[in-house]
Amino acid sequence: MLDNFFESLYSKVLVNIVVKRASTTIYIETCSKSTVLNSAEESFDSILLNEEMVSFVKSFTKETPFFYISILDMSDDQGAIPTCDKNRLEHYYDIHSSEYKCYDKKWTYHTSKTDLYAIEKVYKKIGVDYIFSPFSMLANFFKDKIETTMAMYILIQDSFISLSVFDEGRLLYGEHLDMQTTGESDDEMLSQDISDDLDIQSSINLEDIDVIDDMEALDDFGDIEDLDSLEEIDEFSENKDIEEEFYEAEEPVIESNENSFNEDYQRYSLIHTALGHYYDDEKYESQFIESVYIADGVGVSTDLKRYLEEEMFLSVYVRQLNIPMEVAQLTKMELGL
Amino acid sequence: MRLSYIAPRKKSAFTQELQLLLTFFTITLLMIFLTYSFLLFKNYTFVQDRNEKLVEKENIMNSIDAMKVQIAFIEKQKALSEKVYTKNTVLKDSISNLFDLVPMRITLSRAELLHNGLILYGVTPNRDVYNFMLQAPLRSIFHRTYSSFYPTENGWLRFVSTNYIDNEELVDEE
Repeated sequence: MLDNFFESLYSKVLVNIVVKRASTTIYIETCSKSTVLNSAEESFDSILLNEEMVSFVKSFTKETPFFYISILDMSDDQGAIPTCDKNRLEHYYDIHSSEYKCYDKKWTYHTSKTDLYAIEKVYKKIGVDYIFSPFSMLANFFKDKIETTMAMYILIQDSFISLSVFDEGRLLYGEHLDMQTTGESDDEMLSQDISDDLDIQSSINLEDIDVIDDMEALDDFGDIEDLDSLEEIDEFSENKDIEEEFYEAEEPVIESNENSFNEDYQRYSLIHTALGHYYDDEKYESQFIESVYIADGVGVSTDLKRYLEEEMFLSVYVRQLNIPMEVAQLTKMELGL
Repeated sequence: MRLSYIAPRKKSAFTQELQLLLTFFTITLLMIFLTYSFLLFKNYTFVQDRNEKLVEKENIMNSIDAMKVQIAFIEKQKALSEKVYTKNTVLKDSISNLFDLVPMRITLSRAELLHNGLILYGVTPNRDVYNFMLQAPLRSIFHRTYSSFYPTENGWLRFVSTNYIDNEELVDEE
C-alpha cells in the first residue's frame, strides 16, 4: 500500500539493453505512468558490460529506485515450440536444461538456463530485471497479423534471425538462427548443393529420354482442366496484403551494397534452410506458406525481399523495427504501463 | 502477462538514503513529540497546581476574613473588658473613696449601688455628725441627695441616705 503510494510519486526508468554483433545499444526511457518524459540511446563498442555503460545507466537509475533493466535474450540455444503441454514439449525439444515460458496458453518459447545465468552474471553490477525472448517480441510486434493471418514471421537482428510460422495465432514452427555460427556451415552446404546440381554424372541426359514413352505419360495431363483456372491463379497471385504494402511504401528503401548483399544472402540462405526443415520435419504441422512478414531490426536491403520473392515465390512485407524500443514496449507490458 | 524469463527484483521506495532520512525525521519528530508531551504534562500540572493554589488562597482569604471578624470581635470584647475593668476600677475607687468618706463615728450597715445612685444605710450618733461629715461630701458627688432618720433604742439614729446622679450627665459620661 505504502509502496504503491511511493511508486506513484516516483518516475520509472526503463533501461533496455540490446547486444549486437560487436556493440551494445542501451536505450533508456523515463516514464511517468504511461507518459514518456525523457529518452536516451547510446551505443557502446563492447558486447560486455564496461564502466562506460555502467556510468551511463547509473546516471539515469540514480534518480529513482523504480528502475527496470531489460535485456533481449541473445542466447544461441533458444527457440519456440508449438505447444504448452509439458508432456509434449519433450517431443520437440529437450527442455531439461532450458527455461521456458508459455505464451498465451498456445505456444512456448525457451532458452538455455546456462545462458540466462551468464547474462545475470555479466550484468551483475547493474542487475537484470527482465530477459525477453525474441519470439515474444516478434509475437507482440506482429500481434495484429498473427491472430488473423497464416504466414511466416521473421525477426531480423544484427546477428540472429528468429523465424516462426503462425496460423491464426497458433504457432506451427519456430527456430532461432545464429548468423555467426551457422553461416559458414550453410555456405558450405549451399556450395555443396550447387556442385551437386552441377554433377554431370547424375544429371539428366536428354538423349536418353524416350520421347514416345514420355508423350504417353503426358496423356495423363488430360485432366488438366480440373486444375484451377487461370483466373483463379491470377487471384491467388493477387492475394496481397494491401494495408501492409501501403505501410511499407511509406518507409525509406535501403539500397544494397556489397556488404549488405552478403549478409542478406546469408539471411536468405538461413531462411531457406529453416523453411526446408519446417516442410520436411514431420514433427511440425506443415502448411503452405504464401506470405512472409519481416520485422527488420537492422535495416536489411531490398535484396533479401527480392530473393525471397523471386526464389521462393513468397509475398514479402517488411516492417521496420527499433529493437531497443520494442524491448521497452515489452517492459511496459510487464509493468502494466 | 509474464513475458520475461526471470522475475524482476523487488523494488522499494525505501532506499538506504531514504531509510536514513526517515530514521532521522522519525527521531526528530519523536523528540519533538516527546518534548511537546512533556510540556503538555508540565503545563497540565502547573494548571493543576495553580488551581489548587487558587483554592488554597481562597480558603486562606476566607479564613483571614473569618479571623478578621474574630479579631474585630475580640477587639470589641477587649475594649468592652477594658471598659468594664475601667468601670470596675472606677467603681472600686469610688467605693474605696466612698468608704473613705464615711467618718469613723458613723457606721454603715448596708450600701446599695444603683445605676444612677447610691443608697446607704447606717447608724450615726446624731444628725449633725451625719450632716457635716457625710452628707456634705455626698452632695458634692451626687446631684440629688435625700436623707431620712429614725432613732434607735440607745439614742443613736439610723439613717437612710438616697443619692442620685441625673441621667443627662450619665449619658454624657457614657
